[in-house]
Amino acid sequence: MRSVWALAAMAALSVLTASTTTLAGEPKQGGVLRMYHRDSPANASILEGATYSVNVPFMGVFNNLVIYDQHIAQNSPDTLRPDLAESWSWSSDNKKLTFKLRQGVKWHDGKPFTSADVKCTFDLLMGKSQQKLRQNPRKAWYSEVNDVTPNGDFEVSFDLKRPQPSLLAMLASGYTPVYPCHVSPADMRTHPIGTGPFKFVEFKANESIKLTRNPDYWKKGLPYLDGIEYTIITNRSTAILAFVAGKFDMTFPTHITIPLLKDIKSQAPNAVCVVEPTNVSTNIIVNSTSPPFDNIDIRRAMAMALDRKAFVDILFEGQADIGGTMLPPPQGIWGMPKDKLATIPGYGPDVNASREEAKKLMQKAGYGPDKHLAVKISTRNIAEYRDPAVILIDQLKSIYIDGELDVVETANWFPKVARKDYMLGLNLTGNSVDDPDQSFYENYSCGSERNYTNYCNKEIEKLFDAQSQETDIGKRKPLVWDIDKKLQEDVARPIIFHARAGTCWQPYVKGVTIMSNSSYNGFRYEDVWLDK
Amino acid sequence: MATIDYDLELRRAGAHAAGGWRRVLFLAQRHVLGAAGLVIMTLFVVTAIFADFIARYDPLTIDAAGALARPSLTHWMGTDSFGRDVFSRIIHGSRISLAVGIGSTALGGAIGVIVGLTSGYLSGWVDLVFQRISDVLQALPLLVLALIMTAALGPSLPNVIIAIAIPLIPTVSRVVRANTLALRELPFVEAAKSIGMSEVRIALRHVLPNTLAPLIVLATAQLGSTILTEASLSFLGLGIPEPYPSWGRMLSESAAEYVRTAPWLVIFPGIAISLAVFGANLFGDALRDILDPRQRG
Amino acid sequence: MFAYLVRRLLLMLVTLFGISVVIFFLLRIVPGNIVDILFAAAGYVDPADKANLEKELGIDQPLILQYWHWISGFLRGDFGYSYVSEKPALQEILPRIPITARLAGLALLFSASIGIPLGVISAVKQGTRLDYALRVVSLSGLSLPSFWLGLLILTASVAMFNRMPIFNPNPQTWLEAFATYAVPAAAVGFRSAALTMRITRSSMLEVLRQDYIRTARAKGASDATVNYQHALKNAILPVITVIGIEAAFLIGGLIVTETVFNIPGVARFLVEAIRWRDYPIVQNLVMLIAVVVVSANFIVDMLYAVFDPRIRYTD
Repeated sequence: MRSVWALAAMAALSVLTASTTTLAGEPKQGGVLRMYHRDSPANASILEGATYSVNVPFMGVFNNLVIYDQHIAQNSPDTLRPDLAESWSWSSDNKKLTFKLRQGVKWHDGKPFTSADVKCTFDLLMGKSQQKLRQNPRKAWYSEVNDVTPNGDFEVSFDLKRPQPSLLAMLASGYTPVYPCHVSPADMRTHPIGTGPFKFVEFKANESIKLTRNPDYWKKGLPYLDGIEYTIITNRSTAILAFVAGKFDMTFPTHITIPLLKDIKSQAPNAVCVVEPTNVSTNIIVNSTSPPFDNIDIRRAMAMALDRKAFVDILFEGQADIGGTMLPPPQGIWGMPKDKLATIPGYGPDVNASREEAKKLMQKAGYGPDKHLAVKISTRNIAEYRDPAVILIDQLKSIYIDGELDVVETANWFPKVARKDYMLGLNLTGNSVDDPDQSFYENYSCGSERNYTNYCNKEIEKLFDAQSQETDIGKRKPLVWDIDKKLQEDVARPIIFHARAGTCWQPYVKGVTIMSNSSYNGFRYEDVWLDK
Repeated sequence: MATIDYDLELRRAGAHAAGGWRRVLFLAQRHVLGAAGLVIMTLFVVTAIFADFIARYDPLTIDAAGALARPSLTHWMGTDSFGRDVFSRIIHGSRISLAVGIGSTALGGAIGVIVGLTSGYLSGWVDLVFQRISDVLQALPLLVLALIMTAALGPSLPNVIIAIAIPLIPTVSRVVRANTLALRELPFVEAAKSIGMSEVRIALRHVLPNTLAPLIVLATAQLGSTILTEASLSFLGLGIPEPYPSWGRMLSESAAEYVRTAPWLVIFPGIAISLAVFGANLFGDALRDILDPRQRG
Repeated sequence: MFAYLVRRLLLMLVTLFGISVVIFFLLRIVPGNIVDILFAAAGYVDPADKANLEKELGIDQPLILQYWHWISGFLRGDFGYSYVSEKPALQEILPRIPITARLAGLALLFSASIGIPLGVISAVKQGTRLDYALRVVSLSGLSLPSFWLGLLILTASVAMFNRMPIFNPNPQTWLEAFATYAVPAAAVGFRSAALTMRITRSSMLEVLRQDYIRTARAKGASDATVNYQHALKNAILPVITVIGIEAAFLIGGLIVTETVFNIPGVARFLVEAIRWRDYPIVQNLVMLIAVVVVSANFIVDMLYAVFDPRIRYTD
């Protein structure tokens, strides 16, 4: 317990050092940061959202209990920083997490922030309060939390059913801001009130989102910016052209594809561009409840026919990562080492050999050169989904599978998947934090709503719990690797690749760090400034 | 509108020869633009029919190593980001465009003819109902209707054809109805009636053939615009899905990403669409001049 | 004449009723509703949450009841609330209308001011090289996909002037305000200018063949007088009708152009609303458009009836 306090103190110290190193060169006050936004989010409520279209513009309105260091690209247990919580500590049995809260913090409407607000927020998330969120996509994150209890106005404890070190990771996500008690969930959708560096001004659907500086922000002297203005531009080429022409200071984060990056570089040579993994994996969901993919041989053959490098070469000009469920290192913390990965069928260097084996499996299942297997590959009608599906179809041709693309509109995609009305689906899975609990329970545990394939393996379920309770990272990693390997071998949801994407800004924009293992957590922007 | 005596029209225009080919030749000389349109259209149809022989590669085969190759002797129009041969995709794409153009025009036209004939012939409440339905369809913007239809049916080739065809129905049925109404009053229809010909037979034998000319004019005029509507739907993300090589989608998607880094991906589908529509329009204009002398210019 | 007017008005109401039914049920046929989309974004579906949300929005009620709620509200001017923004639908729709109206007006102006003169010239100079050239140009105008034209304009202007003529919500000067609308209006108007030109040309040609024109010429009126005073005056009526019809047709071009130039107008908004299955927005907006189109047609018909005595007043 003492070591944890020490860690927190160290963390606080490194915030100071980090901010002085990254912001060397005297930050200037003032100016409005102009960005484009890739689409119009459904509403302004981060707790109800499940896309970074909500996080990016609204994260600056709020504070979390704890937050990942905004200037260290890799989120990890070592980069957790105090936010509304000044410090935190685990009880000796690791089943109680206590936060000491910051005093003197005010909501944007002037009311004081207290432990009651924290309780309200997490009761809302756990579905315990009178008022309900219209949607609650991350309820499962708190499945191990019994209760959240305030002790006085400035301390709050989370009582857990069992030790779960990953809880802190989830609390630090941009998805977990603290909401005020006195504002209804409905009002938070249209006019969010937070404690953060920026106040919400307006959100015109399909048009713009405007934030202004919070002059009473509890971090003195911050934010540097007078405000942030997002213009919603859904057409990517129009948006990029506008950035190139200097209409915007920055692109929407991780919105630039690798081919477009070249284009921007050639037209705006001064622009600063960064490419990082988004921790979004492109994967195949397999309907193993009905033929033909109820046959494990066919599932294995499909997994072995994949030429992952070809996907990465075509879609990312080589700049994307191959791995299992967890984002591969060095950016990912929990991904399997390369040599372990290579032992999984379909991940080896010799694609042709692997396909020969796959063909044998297909022949065993009764297919061959004269008898092809016709398969529908369903996916959403969005380029990020469609393009890999086109490549997948082409690759499956090599093992007697004739794929046909079945493009599904967004509104119909999840109902269709839930009905099990598909054979193969090409899917994207975004991991909001680089954390095994978040990925494993959400996507592979037996009762999870997002376990689209209904993969259910009681053995693995036990391993999930074992790794989840392990407090020593060094011991936890090998457990995670073994689980990941097993999941790939079972062809539960074959991972094709982990995407990367680019972000560009004009050279006078300072203090922006793009996270390298999440695309949901790095948009506070309180110390971003314009050197103009 | 009265029936047209084409021979008379031809003579009035100065044609003395009556033989088949000479007449065509004469018309071609008189309507140079129309002839050019016909040549483009023919080329287009021939391409679609013999696509398998003309295309040098399979339009769907992906080649990671050969992605985004410039136009060269091996790939006349370069390759796209998947390494697929653009020339082969454009050649095969002509089938899609032709299917959309002819399919939706024919479908919309056929339903329009039935509705128009019935409406004009039966009059009364049937006419009233049909008329109101076409009023309704005409008051809804074409692209909006097509958008909702593709959203309802899901994006696929047949559904796109249906979605584009439906807004055509009222346009066609109006023309057919007006003609039917006019023809009904003419003496030869009265005569047919008096000798006891059935109504349906009169409609099919006498009324319909005399309505063909304006119909053909209308259909060719629509041909081009249906191809453009498909392109617009593609741009809005509701066109014909991958991997079918639809020109509209090829253009709208490459236009976004590759306008400068790989301009051949944008230039060639753009030319293909514009040329096909241009040809259809040229030909349609000439047809109108020939078949519908009231509007001749 | 009065009876005709009443009859036409009644038919207009019937048509509007029909449109309301069609759009209402068409939207319900489209699979998926706002709730599905919200959950699609969340990546999961919780049946209980879904049912609650559907109840809250009233889309669990019988269709007839939903229709009645909507249409009675529409007639009272109560448009309900947008499912997405949860703001009054009217408040979402109204501010966007002037933007699109300005764009459409400017496009029509562009179309008429280029299309009509060129059409007249083409007709008067029929058969000359000029005529051919103009016809080819107008036909190629009709052959370009409009999004393609818009993107070309944007790309060219960034490449050549490093300027981006996209929408500016707060133009500082009159000139800026003009530029905000003029470029996209030209992109839409180019296509309809081609159409206007073709109609003007054929309408002019028809008039020029009429007896009274020959008479005027025989009486020694100058070419200019004949062409512009007599012929154009008579040829203009069908042109006006076509421009009226084009107004409805324009919406399609506007959707695409508003997307390319990122103009926050009502046309793109409609497409977004369809995508989100935001029934209150789509239904009311389509009805508003239909009211405009139907009344425009009605007015054109009345104008015809007034100006052209040959029209029979019996439908």
